[in-house]
This record gives sequence, C-alpha cells and structure tokens, in this order.
Amino acid sequence: MLPEPLNYDYAPYLNRPKIVWPEGKRLAFWVAPNIEFYEYAPPKSAARGVWYRPEPDILNYSMRDYGNRVGFDRMADVMANYGVRGSVSLNVSICDHMPEIIERCCELDWELFSHGVYNTRYLYGMTEDQQREIIRDSRDTIKRASGQSLDGWLSPAISNEETTQDILAEEGLLYTLDLFHDDQPMPVKTRSGKKFASLPYMMDVNDVPVLNFRNISPQDYLQLIKDHFDQLYEEGAESGTVMCLPLHPYLIGQPHRLWLLDEALKYVTSHSGVWCATGREIAKCYLDNNYDDAQAFIAGVKGNAA
Amino acid sequence: MTIEPSYFDYPHRGPGMDHSRYPFRRLAKQAPVAWPGGAKLLLWVTLHLEHFPMNMGSKPFTPPGGMSRPGVSVWDYTQRDYGNRVGFYRLMKLFDKHGIKPTIAMNSEVAVRYPYLLDRILERGWEIAASGTDMGHLHHGGLVEEAEREQVQKSFGDLRRLSGQAVTGWHSPAHSQSPNTPDLVAEAGGLYLADWINDDMPYAFATRAGELTQMPLSYDLSDRKILYQQSLPAAVYAHQIDMACKCLRAEAETRGGRILSLSLSPWVAGLPAQIRTLDGVLGRIIATGETVSVCGEDIRSFWTAAKSS
Repeated sequence: MLPEPLNYDYAPYLNRPKIVWPEGKRLAFWVAPNIEFYEYAPPKSAARGVWYRPEPDILNYSMRDYGNRVGFDRMADVMANYGVRGSVSLNVSICDHMPEIIERCCELDWELFSHGVYNTRYLYGMTEDQQREIIRDSRDTIKRASGQSLDGWLSPAISNEETTQDILAEEGLLYTLDLFHDDQPMPVKTRSGKKFASLPYMMDVNDVPVLNFRNISPQDYLQLIKDHFDQLYEEGAESGTVMCLPLHPYLIGQPHRLWLLDEALKYVTSHSGVWCATGREIAKCYLDNNYDDAQAFIAGVKGNAA
Repeated sequence: MTIEPSYFDYPHRGPGMDHSRYPFRRLAKQAPVAWPGGAKLLLWVTLHLEHFPMNMGSKPFTPPGGMSRPGVSVWDYTQRDYGNRVGFYRLMKLFDKHGIKPTIAMNSEVAVRYPYLLDRILERGWEIAASGTDMGHLHHGGLVEEAEREQVQKSFGDLRRLSGQAVTGWHSPAHSQSPNTPDLVAEAGGLYLADWINDDMPYAFATRAGELTQMPLSYDLSDRKILYQQSLPAAVYAHQIDMACKCLRAEAETRGGRILSLSLSPWVAGLPAQIRTLDGVLGRIIATGETVSVCGEDIRSFWTAAKSS
C-alpha cells in the first residue's frame, strides 16, 4: 500500500489565489443528500463487515430504508421551501429500485452524482477494470434515469483503491468528494493530467458521524452547522469558500430532527454572500476560473516538486 | 484480495425492495388516514419489561442493557432488575396521572417471575404484547427454525395463559429477527409486529402464514437510545420528543392522521433523574389538541379499518 494518496501536493491555506464565486458571492453552499440502498443480503466483503449485527440485521436495514420511504420527501419539502437544490450522492441502483424518488429529484432540478451501485458494495480490492465497470454502470444508469451526465463521485462507504481518482479523471468526471483535505476546491493530481477537482464534502458536519458516531444532540448539531458556516463565510471574503452539508434522509428526515434542517437552511440562506449551488455548478465554476491559478500557486509552494 | 465476477451480480436490482416482505412505498404519497373521533395524533406508549439473565452471555451479540462485565455481572443484572422493581411503579403512576393507555411489550419470563407486577397491568386493562421469553434468548439468523418456533410459542403461550388476553402484538427483543421470525409470529396468531423502523405509519407485512401489520415503534427516539446508549441529557431527550410531536402534529393537518411512538424502559425512563422529564413530556403531548393515547392493538385495528374503508 502507498504511504499516502498521490492525488495532491501541499497547498497552505495562506495567500492562495483569490476565488470569487458568481455575482461576487463569497461562499458556495451545497447540500448533498445521500440517497442509498443497503442490501438485505449483501455479498461478503473481505475488507470489512457489511452489517453490524448478524444477518439479517433488520434493525439497521430498516433504519436506512426509512430514508427512502419517509425521510426523503420530508427533507425535499424543507429544501424546496428555501430554494435549496440537492446534489444527490446516489447509490445508482435506486434508479432501478425506486424510480419515483429519481423522478422527484429531477422535478426539483437536483443533480445526481454517483455513490456507487449499492452502499453495501465496496471498491476495496477491485482491479482498475472493475472500478471502471462501476463508474460506467453509474454513468449509464444516471443518464438513463435522468438524462444527466455523471460529473461527480463519492465512493460507496468511502471505499477507495489507490487508482480510484486516476480512473475517475480518465472516465471524464469533473469532481471527486473522496478527499477531505481542504475547505476549498483543489486540483486533483492524476496520472492522465486531466482537469479534475476535489470539492469539500465536510465529514465534520455530515449527519452520520455527528449523530450516529459522535452522539451529538440535534441542538448542538445545529450550532455546529452555524459555527462552521460563520467561519467559512467570514474567510470567504478573502477568498471564496465552500460549505457542504452532507445529509442522510434516514437521519435528518426523522420528525425529531427535521426542524434543525429548517433552521440551518433558514440561517444560511439569510446571508447575502451565499451562492446556493450544486456540486456540478461549483466544480465547473472552479475548473473554468480558478483551477489554473491554483495549479500555478501550488507549483510555487516551497518544497513542492517543480 | 480478489473481487470475484459474482460481486457484480445484482440479483434483486429492479423495481421495489430486495426482499418480499413489503413493496416500496413513500409515506408522502399515501392516502390520508382518518383516526376515530377526529384525532390527529395517536400517542402510542410502549413500555418494555425485560428480564436479563445474569448468565445470558454475549452470543450472537449483547443487546443494549445486556451483561457487559467481564465476570459475574451483578452490576448489570441488578440495574436492569431495578426497572421491574422500582422504575415500573414510577411509570405506572405517571401513566395513571396522564391517562396513558400503554402497550406493555414484555418478555414472558417477567410475567412468570413477577405475578404481582402482572396483576397491576391486568387491573388497569393495559395491553400486553409478546416480546420473546427473556433477553438471553434473542431471535437471530443463527437459530434453527424449530428452536425459534418454540421460543415464539412459549412467549405467546405463557403470556396468553397468565394474562387471559388475546396478545396480538410482537416485539422482538432488541429489534432483532431471524429470517423466519415474522412467519413464526403469524403462525402463533400474532397480528402485528413492531420491529422494523422504516416508517412512521403501519404497513402490511407479508409472511408465509398470512399478513401482519408492521407498526412504527420508535427506536431513534427511545429512552434507551438517547439516554442510555447515547448518554445525552434528559433535556435533549425531552426536546427531541417535543420536536417530533410538533412535526407529526403539523403533518397530520395536511397528510392525515399520524402516530407518535414513545418506546420506554423502566430501567431508563423510570430512574429518579428522568421521571420528571417524562412527566413534563407526557403532559405537553396530551395537552396538544386532538391527541389521544391508545395501545398498539387499537392502532392496528384503526389502521386496518381505515385501509379497507
């Protein structure tokens, strides 16, 4: 195994080339609902346990199923109320299992990007051709279900191989969410040298780690989101920042938590310097206007190979 | 590590679920349900009465509240047993005060061991639902079907014999099922299940012995999850219930009747430091207009009637 991912060079968060988002906005805000399908009887993985309890783990299966049956519509209603579109981290098999969810996403003008086929099928151990098969399946499925191009990627359960980012760039995607190294978009180094960017996905405000792993209360989660936003909004005056709110309908769409999404969106959208965008819009804007400057900046950082 | 070509087989990739228990549905697209008497919100309080044997072990997994000490686990045993000795009576008085009509989801062993406690339930006319035999006998995929059938039959059988009630509801200890549990529950004459946590309303659940109603027993909003497993303060517990009540009550205005499910354990909610919080919560829920406390079998029959009307 490599001692580090080979996808980026050191880039200090200091004196970077200035990013200004469209219409002079200083913070690009995007919401990434994870619409997922966890299999009832998934194949075994040599890399990790799939379910938490002996199968069938109906507790955890049904907890996630709640998102598709109940949470998704609740969450979509709140987002529509604030004019916030989603960029869906999609297990693309949802297009086959639950096409009506995709129909509503399209009606709401949401972006679909790939989060693998099922959340219970990992990239761990896959050859390059096998990874390519998953990416092409995703591209074909999303195209068929929505007419959209596949531009973004979050590996299912963040399972990666060393070559994953190289293959994504070669397959023509615009952005990846697998790298958590920065609060701004960044060029991603891949073997083909194609223009390919990372967007901040922000695990620290992702509802799964916050609510499931760290046991933070809904009130404290809301405060965390506001604090996170306040700092990035302030820094965005110097150079445009990105705030991503990664969410899961099975958690945020619960009746005891929906209020905090409402409050969070109310808070963020009340700021005039916010650009409410999709992942694709942010990536395109960055690739067209900021990527080259960032490359030049990184090349000039002391210690980076020329 | 090599990934076999079979890893790319997706045998269930098509419309609907990847099992045959229920079809996919979106709650938001369901026809509105009208509850009897014009109620908008049904409060379903489920009280779990459990017996955790000190020698229960940790196979196939330790359920929340199970024995967690390395040796003789007197600590865990007595803290759980506290619920049936003390916590239950505190909750009983609280339910009496607020006119709560709970479902008592009990391990049959509790009824066998504590007839005094059972009498308090029966004299109030509270519904008993079967919840296995004890917490050392989980239902899980490693069980041989015949052995599990005996567990299910014993639970229903003992509770029906000791209570004289029909006992139509089932809750698997720790929300854990084998692939056969729903079939065995239906075979034993159960009418509803409360194990799957994928909806806020009942839905039809297929078994090889006929259809069950799967009921929305809360898990994420349970005292056990929030206060015990997540160790969050009582105020956070209360706030989440208040918010759930508000959300569901508002939804009921446009989308039809809703259910607020509170899943309580006497060894959690019945503690001195928690009971006043619950007192406040129940008071506020009941004070919400057009809200009524009913038991699981009530909800099952209301829903069945509404569905066929």
